[in-house]
Amino acid sequence: MVLDADLDRRPAPAFAHASEAELARILDFYAVAWEYEPHTFPILFDRSGAVLESFSPDFYLPELDVYLELTTLKQRLVRKKNRKLRRLRELYPGVTVKLLYSRDFRALLFKYGKLSLAGVLTGADGQTTPPRERSERPPVASAPTRPRPRRSRAEARARAAARLTTAGRPTATGTPDDAEVTA
Amino acid sequence: MTRRPDLTADVSEILLSEEQIQAKVLELGRRISDDYAGRELTLVSVLKGSLPFMADLMRSITIPVQIDLMEVSSYGGAATESSGLVRILKDLSSSIDGRHVLIVEDIIDTGLTLNYLVRYLRGKNPATLKICTLLDKPARRIVEIAIDYRGFEIPDQFVIGYGLDYGEVYRNLRFVGVLRPEVYLDPD
Repeated sequence: MVLDADLDRRPAPAFAHASEAELARILDFYAVAWEYEPHTFPILFDRSGAVLESFSPDFYLPELDVYLELTTLKQRLVRKKNRKLRRLRELYPGVTVKLLYSRDFRALLFKYGKLSLAGVLTGADGQTTPPRERSERPPVASAPTRPRPRRSRAEARARAAARLTTAGRPTATGTPDDAEVTA
Repeated sequence: MTRRPDLTADVSEILLSEEQIQAKVLELGRRISDDYAGRELTLVSVLKGSLPFMADLMRSITIPVQIDLMEVSSYGGAATESSGLVRILKDLSSSIDGRHVLIVEDIIDTGLTLNYLVRYLRGKNPATLKICTLLDKPARRIVEIAIDYRGFEIPDQFVIGYGLDYGEVYRNLRFVGVLRPEVYLDPD
């Protein structure tokens, strides 16, 4: 039974990490509709109101109105992401974001008998972009942005598979961690 | 060499004793009997882990009930590579059209399978559709689902017994225990 006949026609996002592609496959398997990084939330502003920092959760589940953020970095390295998430929750209390840590993702892999893939799907080994480059995207002025068009799931898989062995993603400009918060 | 499971030594801790489980099952049975009095109730259990809970729960319910069993493929299983979508391996034997349906689960963690089942069963036009689970592990939740009857909320540990398995073993334990990590981290 296919509950969402459009699943096979969905556009393939350019997943930044192999773990995201795997989570997308799990969501597809259970017919949970998802969008990849469809919305960007400004979370840090300067005195003039210009956006200094923003946060784009990895997945949005439109039927459930929930965002998923997946981080497979080691626990001691997720402090910055935790801070961004806390800030997002302060500024957008109506937005639900679930943060899946590395241990949560490993538990998922274990549950589905894929723990042996943890090495290539988590941490630096699964990344196609160095962490600083990916997290420091140029800020946007408004939130949320319009959802990105979808690509086919087969295309998504092919891209994700390719990214397991291919590095390189355009480098974005940075955003300061210690900028003054006025919002 | 494959490690040989040991039903005693592989359990690091008994999380829920047989007595605790049976007391909770009786309590749930009483509540369900009261709530569904005078209505046509069908219990739908999801194989295989729910079997012990289903067997005990149905016998603790004091009103007439019908039972049915379903089985769905799991991500990572043999069906994954062929279709990429969850499959109903065993469908309902009888119609639930117009009946009051209670899904009986052993454990809810991510909520992904249950979310799928709820949507699937809603398509079969039950009068009502509710959820009963013996164990709830909210720390692993990805899809939030309203649980109508909850036995125990448990911590984020790998549990076995009373239907729950690791590698198809340990289901026959009469309690719910925590599996020693060395069993699944270094199985050989």
